[in-house]
Amino acid sequence: MYRKQVRRRRAVLALLIVGSFALLTLTYGQGSDSVQRGVSAIFSPIQAVADRALKPARDLVNWFDKTFDARGRNSRLESELEAARRQAVGGRAALAENGELRKLLSLDRGGAIPSGYEPATGRVIARSPTVWYAAVTIDVGSGDGVRVDDPVVNGEGLVGAVSAVTAGSAQVRLLADNSSAVSARVVPVGVQGVVKPEVGDPGHLILDFIDSTRKVHKGQAVVTAGWRAQGIASRFPPNIPIGEVTRASLEEQEASQQVQLRPYADLRDLETVQVLTGGWRG
Amino acid sequence: MILTSNILARLVAIVVLGVLLQLSFFSQVALFHTSPDVLPAIVVSLGLLGGTMAGAVSGFSVGFLLDCLLVQPLGGGSLVLLGVGYLAGMFRERFEIHSPLVPPLLCMGLTLVAELGFGAVELMLGSAGTISGLAIRDVAVKSIFAFFLGWPIYLGLRRALRPALVEEPVAPRRNRPTVLGA
Repeated sequence: MYRKQVRRRRAVLALLIVGSFALLTLTYGQGSDSVQRGVSAIFSPIQAVADRALKPARDLVNWFDKTFDARGRNSRLESELEAARRQAVGGRAALAENGELRKLLSLDRGGAIPSGYEPATGRVIARSPTVWYAAVTIDVGSGDGVRVDDPVVNGEGLVGAVSAVTAGSAQVRLLADNSSAVSARVVPVGVQGVVKPEVGDPGHLILDFIDSTRKVHKGQAVVTAGWRAQGIASRFPPNIPIGEVTRASLEEQEASQQVQLRPYADLRDLETVQVLTGGWRG
Repeated sequence: MILTSNILARLVAIVVLGVLLQLSFFSQVALFHTSPDVLPAIVVSLGLLGGTMAGAVSGFSVGFLLDCLLVQPLGGGSLVLLGVGYLAGMFRERFEIHSPLVPPLLCMGLTLVAELGFGAVELMLGSAGTISGLAIRDVAVKSIFAFFLGWPIYLGLRRALRPALVEEPVAPRRNRPTVLGA
């Protein structure tokens, strides 16, 4: 009797392990399949309700974290504020000049959204629990015009791209996800590279494969390159802000052809995002 | 664990609620820049309460639902969490839980195993890029959170599944013999 029980247990365990490997083999690399889309479609309304119901409790917990964090950052921000005030004067002049140039070139489209793209605003309703995947679920889907590979932004800059879509929800693979890679360029020098994450640290990105003969400096902005050639194109339109170069040592640029950057968007704390739907798809 | 349709329904509800709570609440809050992961603790508690089979099956189910809802490659989460549930169940079948510290310590240790396991699966699939040192800190802090959340999760699940649990028979109390003339 006992042996029979042990054999049955081992059989179930073996079945589960084989099942896991079979699932991995079948679905790895496909990004999305019908089972996942079906389950996701069933659960997304429940997730949306749970998200709204749990928001006050989430805000309370996050308030504690932010309060601790703010105490440490206060003194550093005061000194940064002084420097920012000085730069603001120059910034205003540059903005005015930029506006005039845009009018001259007929490029002023009245906003940060590239032409041909229609923004669909969504709220984050779920988030991956492990540090190895950086993905969120948002409450807009194919019914709102969202499609796989659409770029996702927030008020600060690029956040990621849509990796799977159901009728009422979409999964967004963040810039910090290990599978993320965005072609980008440094402004104003124009050096191009690929923005990759450093897994486990959403506040830190790497601009890799840069041209080491042209120097990049700390503080320079990095935006999407948005290339298009011979019928294929980057899924990201050009000039969406990604981040700011935080470390650009000459040794690093020459030896590993990379610089470090900080994303403008706080990838740990996303509430509302915009999916740029439509656009050119080759 | 004695499985009836009522208990099965409770187990399904625990798995679904656990995953939804994780995705909608715990993953979106941050304490010391880290979000708690309660799913390994739930699977460990089910393994401790129900044994190897309950642990492995619940781990597989939690992992499968998680992978489905996050549209990750299916099977990775299931593989890691079924191992965690099985290990917790094996502990329950081989040792006695003498101290109230055992469930939270197991939750902490096996959460560490689960988080490293998720990383190992990523490396196995060849998709992990540069890994920051902060990932290790994140995994360690998640394990500490699991220690503090493990005990209430274990108690809550034990209460929810009480009718199905096989309790150890309590040894009959022996009365001290009356000594006549003492």
